[in-house]
Amino acid sequence: MSFARRFFSRPTAAVGFVVFLAIVIIALAAPLLFARGPFAIVGMPLLAPGSPGLPAGSDVLGRNMMIGLAYGARVSLLVGISATLVATGVGILFGAVAGYYGGVVDDLLMRVTEFFQIIPAFVLLMVLVAFLQPSLTSAVIGIALISWPQVARVVRGEFLTLRSREFVEAARTLGMRDTRIILTQILPNALPPIVVISSMMVGNAILAESALSFLGLGDPNLLSWGSMIGGARSAMWVAWWTTTLPGISIMITVLALNFMGDGLNDALNPRRGR
Amino acid sequence: MGLVSIQNLTVALPPGADRPKAVDDVSLEVGRNQIVCIVGESGSGKSLTAHAIMGLLPRGVTAAGGQILFDGVDLLKEPPGAMRKRRGRDIAMIFQDPMAALNPVVAIGRQVTEQIRAHRAISEAEALKQAGALLGEMGLKDIESLLKSYPHQLSGGQRQRVMIAMALSLSPQLLIADEPTTALDVTTQAQILKLIKRIQAEREMSVLFITHDFGVVADMADSVAVMRHGRVLESGTVAEVLGNPSHSYTRALIAAVPRGESQLPPPPDVRPLVQVNKLTKRFRRGGMFAPGKVNTAVDNVSLTLSRGETLGIVGESGSGKSTLARCIIRLLDPDAGEVLLDGADIAHMKPGELGPLRRRIQMVFQDPFSSLNPRQTIGDILTIGPRIYGEDPKEARARAADILRLVGLNPETMNRLPHEFSGGQRQRIGLARALMLKPDVLIADEPVSALDVTVQAQVLQLLDDVRQQMNLAMLFITHDMRVAAQVCHRVMVMRHGKIVETGPTRDIFARPSSDYTKALLAAIPGRQVR
Amino acid sequence: MKLHYIFMRLVKTVLVAIAVVLLSFFLIRLAPGDVATVMAGQSGYADEAYMKSLRAEYGLDQPVPVQLWKYVNAVAHGDLGMSYVRSQPVFGIIMERLPNTLLLDAFALVLAAVGGIWLGSLAARRPGSFLDNANTILSMFFYSVPQFWLGMMMMLVFAVWLGWLPPFGIETMGADYTGLARVADVALHILLPGTTLALYFMASYARLTRTAMIEVADQDFVKTARAKGISERQVARRHILRNALIPLITFAGLQASILVGGNVLVENVFSWPGVGTLAYEAVSSRDNPLLLGIFIVTAILVSLFNLVTDIAYSLADPRVELGQ
Repeated sequence: MSFARRFFSRPTAAVGFVVFLAIVIIALAAPLLFARGPFAIVGMPLLAPGSPGLPAGSDVLGRNMMIGLAYGARVSLLVGISATLVATGVGILFGAVAGYYGGVVDDLLMRVTEFFQIIPAFVLLMVLVAFLQPSLTSAVIGIALISWPQVARVVRGEFLTLRSREFVEAARTLGMRDTRIILTQILPNALPPIVVISSMMVGNAILAESALSFLGLGDPNLLSWGSMIGGARSAMWVAWWTTTLPGISIMITVLALNFMGDGLNDALNPRRGR
Repeated sequence: MGLVSIQNLTVALPPGADRPKAVDDVSLEVGRNQIVCIVGESGSGKSLTAHAIMGLLPRGVTAAGGQILFDGVDLLKEPPGAMRKRRGRDIAMIFQDPMAALNPVVAIGRQVTEQIRAHRAISEAEALKQAGALLGEMGLKDIESLLKSYPHQLSGGQRQRVMIAMALSLSPQLLIADEPTTALDVTTQAQILKLIKRIQAEREMSVLFITHDFGVVADMADSVAVMRHGRVLESGTVAEVLGNPSHSYTRALIAAVPRGESQLPPPPDVRPLVQVNKLTKRFRRGGMFAPGKVNTAVDNVSLTLSRGETLGIVGESGSGKSTLARCIIRLLDPDAGEVLLDGADIAHMKPGELGPLRRRIQMVFQDPFSSLNPRQTIGDILTIGPRIYGEDPKEARARAADILRLVGLNPETMNRLPHEFSGGQRQRIGLARALMLKPDVLIADEPVSALDVTVQAQVLQLLDDVRQQMNLAMLFITHDMRVAAQVCHRVMVMRHGKIVETGPTRDIFARPSSDYTKALLAAIPGRQVR
Repeated sequence: MKLHYIFMRLVKTVLVAIAVVLLSFFLIRLAPGDVATVMAGQSGYADEAYMKSLRAEYGLDQPVPVQLWKYVNAVAHGDLGMSYVRSQPVFGIIMERLPNTLLLDAFALVLAAVGGIWLGSLAARRPGSFLDNANTILSMFFYSVPQFWLGMMMMLVFAVWLGWLPPFGIETMGADYTGLARVADVALHILLPGTTLALYFMASYARLTRTAMIEVADQDFVKTARAKGISERQVARRHILRNALIPLITFAGLQASILVGGNVLVENVFSWPGVGTLAYEAVSSRDNPLLLGIFIVTAILVSLFNLVTDIAYSLADPRVELGQ
């Protein structure tokens, strides 16, 4: 009946939530547990997992992979969540205005989203990050920039259908002002799909960040899962764990987010699911 | 012995449904060469009974007991393969909404031949010939191009004729018609009813006709069964059931059917409160690269409305009646003409000037399920209007309780959400929301068309009471002449955006001057009910 | 009417291309540094005079509007300029790589569509069954895997450990196969990158097909079809699948558009000589004319793909008329 019960009644959603929570805790605790940071060299390079003090082995430079994995979670979550927040905020703003008012704003928004569909998104992202100089901020800006049109389209669609619903018409005949109609009548009803798409978007943003770092376009001062894989490309043939473990970390994180998104979708739209 | 004999049929709903059984111990006979109507309101189990005969119950819904004997064979025991062969060949079915019931991406011809060829080994060309002949028999014209058309290119009536042609293509012994005219306009409904009656007589087949409308029953049925909550309350010949109903529910249902006779006296002749002059509204379609088409939805319409009076605007779909209402209340901006409220033209006011005047005209909407914000409590829905105009929230809440009582609801329901209420209750809440602003004018846009007959009667009564008590000027939009006759002092008939004729309800019903109004009146089903 | 519409769409494509030129031009101008700093950095020889001569050579010493005008003028004549790094015409470089990308895309799209629609319709037959749930979780898995990493893992398993497939490139270097032998060689090379790409899209197709089929199965006309007495197989094929596939056309068009720009990551991992690797090289070496060229060529191709999608859609769905 309740939202939480509907969410947790899906086993995948429950697992996703627990796993995601664990990753958040690891990310927050990393500096406390491993004060020396991920770049410290602790021993011989390419030691297999299970070597003394190295449960996840060591990498090409002899750094503790486990510390790297823990710190990598910080970068992934930080970029994933902030890029999504920015993209969702911008997307809601433009989508709401375009969907509610239509007309010129709507035309303009549609042209802009078309532009983003026509330009290869990842190339654009690379260009932006490369030209802004690779950093955490540029990754967030770049990913938000290629992601917001998606939110805007969804929000616009929702507003377009909701604005002709009779309860919105009723609010207008009561004499309610547009801003208030948007905020109190339409937005609460448009939130479920926005929440769902945002939860999925965090996952996609994490994937995009890892891809950037993999290509060497990540923040050079931070170790992220993507850059761990990118740095270990040459060692892949001899030391499987150097590429496999960070990859699995990305996968688990994104999978947990997507499972949660699916659960949210069901919990927020009890009729639509199945 | 009849063609179909249903004995003690029970249909079980899946666990977790609002009730365990949709059909409960139903027995029913359909004789050869006769039309049997099952009449009931939503949730009565009438439609599932019909689907059980076809062996087409929805997933999870099962026939849990009883028998359906068709020509002596129990259909519930037929293996799926044999049942499939019977469908279309022995028993055919048509549905409520012919637009939804036809595959949108397959040409009409193929949809008919598909059925023929599923049961008979003949060539596509041969089947197409038969299909063409059938469509002709249904009164359709221009068969050649019709066979190549797609459903969206036809009118509602044409589509239902195609459905009927398809159903009859293998000369079944039984035709099941599940509310086949509910989605159609009145005049089209009359034609389709006539067609079904004609075909039945010509082919001497049996028809099981599902409906909610006693008017239709009176026109169509040889015998009738009344269902409620999954049970048959009474059955018999039409004369018996309509003339001498034994069950109180049947009596209530019959009494609730609007009579189609005006009961209200002509309006008092007073200075009009609302005056609409030469109002016109056009819609443009098409974008940057497509030449725009202009559709004049409301064409030069004038009307007056006084306090204490109800003016009915009657028209079929596409007549512009709802657009007219939305222009008057300024949900749409009219292109030309004026709307005078107490002499002030509100049609062209800027939002700032309009603001304070808005509360004087309020509206009750058609769809009880979309007219209330699903995420606000009833209390919020009712008080949000007054709060916009600066009323103290506490005071507004107290008034909301009074108004809930006025519309027949318990004030303690204020903390509930809309989904906890039935359709009729929601319409009451919608009315209460409008009344909270103490309006002078109330526009009711098809306020009862989504409701069951008995609920319809209650809501209509309530609207009329409220109008009298609060001395409202009411504009009542409807497609249903019978409903209009019940609550309106005057009636205005619209078609294609224009006024066809207007006058006191009694006069229009007694002496319609235009052919269109005459046709509308003639199309009212069951004029002979009492 | 229809021809008129197609013509107008082609005109629109040209307008879009111009917009892309303008936007990309300014986007790239915003970047700090230019070819001179890059090339000087590469040669480790940052002499003021040398840089000045470089700037003059590429016209970078002129005012921005003049540069823009010259560029647009050249593009209008089919000249995308010279690559800074390779000293070859940009158009030629792109055209050399484009067929490789299109080949990879076509392989991946067909594999993804066929596999995904098959899996999706299997799952839709019994929603909630084991098969359906397995399918959902598997789709989710391929949604969540970083593509480049999946590629590396495939390479590790099938090329390194099992040694079944070649890990890199589009054909065997130095083998100089011709005719059928060359086709077979390329086919072998395309398997790993093609499958890596396809798996991701296959997940989308499976999910979309499943949802669409379940939605369509609930519609009245499916009930009508059953009431006609036709077999379940025909109901599923002619009525459910036929309608469920229509929204997939839009999706296929969208995917094709995404892929035209080349998949930077998969091409990079497998050293596939396509537009994606080219774009990566252009970004790393600040080869602005090459980048602009890639944007323009893909923009035009995507617009054409969109037109093809619209035409396909209007053919598949009689309710949709081209241009409405």
